[in-house]
Amino acid sequence: MRVRVLHVLAMVAVGVCVRPAFGQWLKYPTTGVPRTKDGKVNLSAPAPRSNGKPDFSGIWLTGNPIPCNKATGADFLDCGAELPLARDAINIGVTLPGGLPYQPWAAELVKKRTADQAKDDPHVRCLPDTFIRSYGLPHLQKFIQVPGLLVMIDEMNASYRQIFTDGRPLPADPVPSWNGWSSAVWEGDTLVVKSNGFRDDLWLDIAGSPLTDAAKTVERIRRPDYGHLEIELTVEDPKAYTRPWTVHLKQQIVVDTDLVDEICLENEKSSQHMK
Amino acid sequence: MMIRSALVVPAFACTLGVAVSAQWLNQPTPSIPRTADGKPNLSAPAPRTADGRPDLSGLWNRISPKYSRNVAADLKPGDVQPWAQALVEERRENLGKGYMNTICVPFGPSYVTSADTTGAEQMKIVQTPSLVIILNPDLTYRQVYMDGRALERDPNPAWMGYAVGRWDGDTLVVESNGYNDRTWLDHDGHPHTEALRMTERYHRRDFGHMDVDITYSDPKAYAKPWTVSVRAELAADTEMIEFVCSERDANPGLAHWVGKASDERKASVAVARDILAKYVGTYVEQPKYWRLEARTVVISVSGDTLYGDMDGRGKVPLIAQSPTLFTGLYGLGVGFVTDSRGAPTAMYVKHVSGDYRFAPKQ
Repeated sequence: MRVRVLHVLAMVAVGVCVRPAFGQWLKYPTTGVPRTKDGKVNLSAPAPRSNGKPDFSGIWLTGNPIPCNKATGADFLDCGAELPLARDAINIGVTLPGGLPYQPWAAELVKKRTADQAKDDPHVRCLPDTFIRSYGLPHLQKFIQVPGLLVMIDEMNASYRQIFTDGRPLPADPVPSWNGWSSAVWEGDTLVVKSNGFRDDLWLDIAGSPLTDAAKTVERIRRPDYGHLEIELTVEDPKAYTRPWTVHLKQQIVVDTDLVDEICLENEKSSQHMK
Repeated sequence: MMIRSALVVPAFACTLGVAVSAQWLNQPTPSIPRTADGKPNLSAPAPRTADGRPDLSGLWNRISPKYSRNVAADLKPGDVQPWAQALVEERRENLGKGYMNTICVPFGPSYVTSADTTGAEQMKIVQTPSLVIILNPDLTYRQVYMDGRALERDPNPAWMGYAVGRWDGDTLVVESNGYNDRTWLDHDGHPHTEALRMTERYHRRDFGHMDVDITYSDPKAYAKPWTVSVRAELAADTEMIEFVCSERDANPGLAHWVGKASDERKASVAVARDILAKYVGTYVEQPKYWRLEARTVVISVSGDTLYGDMDGRGKVPLIAQSPTLFTGLYGLGVGFVTDSRGAPTAMYVKHVSGDYRFAPKQ
């Protein structure tokens, strides 16, 4: 359960009447945010730049959320609680006509995983999410861009992903890893990130679409304006898919707050019931 | 069905000898000072950022033989509150079950003193003017805010805590609080409360060496604040390998950790004092394998009992299983190889991973 919600409930229960002093950093104003006259974030302001390139630094959430209308009875599972869940987090191929081009074994596997309600989802078992899922799950991510490195830190398990921008070639025989190994170059104002070295049998979404150790991915990341990121993701994974496929993921900026780590294994009691 | 091309490569191709595996573990770090023979020049001056501050960025190996095991090694009896000392002893008796790595939770305040602990043995520092982040091999991060904000006055307890940093000359001073009380400060199990305040002072002496002093203040657990020192060496031309603790499905291994530490005493035997007396001395690990510093064990005797102290962690009684084999060195075994007169020619520290040879220091 989200820590923010728990904390608010605890404070109410204790009956503290003074002005709440907790969690000032959850409301700490971000510096350098372009604002409109009425104080709102100017999402259409120009994207910041550093070292002659767009700077992707900032806190980001999915820009393609499942609409959440509590008045119609949509609840936690539909809306991802306080933070939005992306449509693509449920099925990353949702925008593709016909869905993802699964190999027959992969299509069968997805059917089974959906019927099993994703009980074997590594995310549910407190294992790392690949960066692809991190874009759509209801957790804040902060991008930190320095020369030679773009780091994405994520609330989920206080985790991170590294993208090397120092020009190194991808490893030819990588140690399989949950996030893969990522190296990026600029093409104009687009950061082109190539990744390989994924561990086998990763999940790309709640439906259970697989990513295998044969996968290579390309993200083309743009920041068209201050408030938005566009990520064109191409996945080439011949073991699981009959052809490469491309989806467009969106991110929207978040300001005046900060990350709260969610440690999945803290008092984890659900998996024993999920047989 | 796709056939992976690797399956059809003939076996003899493996003798080509081209080192292609996992190059990023051997990827030269760009733009670092090197000596004439191409090695990283660890004694070059520490780099600075554009605003004139020392730049602490880089991948670092931590060296902390004593305090990663016993953060209170230099304290006197009475400096540790009785409830905290009792908890240390209970955790030792329970074979250290509940240490962060055994239940796959973050180390919290203990990353900074951890070394020789998978998932916490290195740190990658990424320094920007307003934020310093520290990445750990267990895929956790820590944020240190450099924007002048004050620490949280009433923090929501978190695993990784809340940290702010400022420069004191060429030293980065990091204040942190807001740690939940679910972590241990070291392997021995020294606890802390949610009121823990830590001050870390990072000083990059030169390109390849950094000193870190850590001050702990937690009056409900420790009578007064105290400071420990660890150091770090730059790990050039390589990269972290991720460590995903929960990959082994949380902790099935713990089911096999039966018994108590005191069970070792059940099989103990008496050994004559003149045999024990010959073991007294200092032993240095040789070879040190992957360690950056060889371990040292000091063997002493008092009455009928042999004692061992490794790296200053604290003197503990060794339990004789035979005239040459002892247990009780913080869970490790100790074996002596002797000559015809009973004088030790070698000592072995025995661990589940193998026997580590130590040579008597002359």
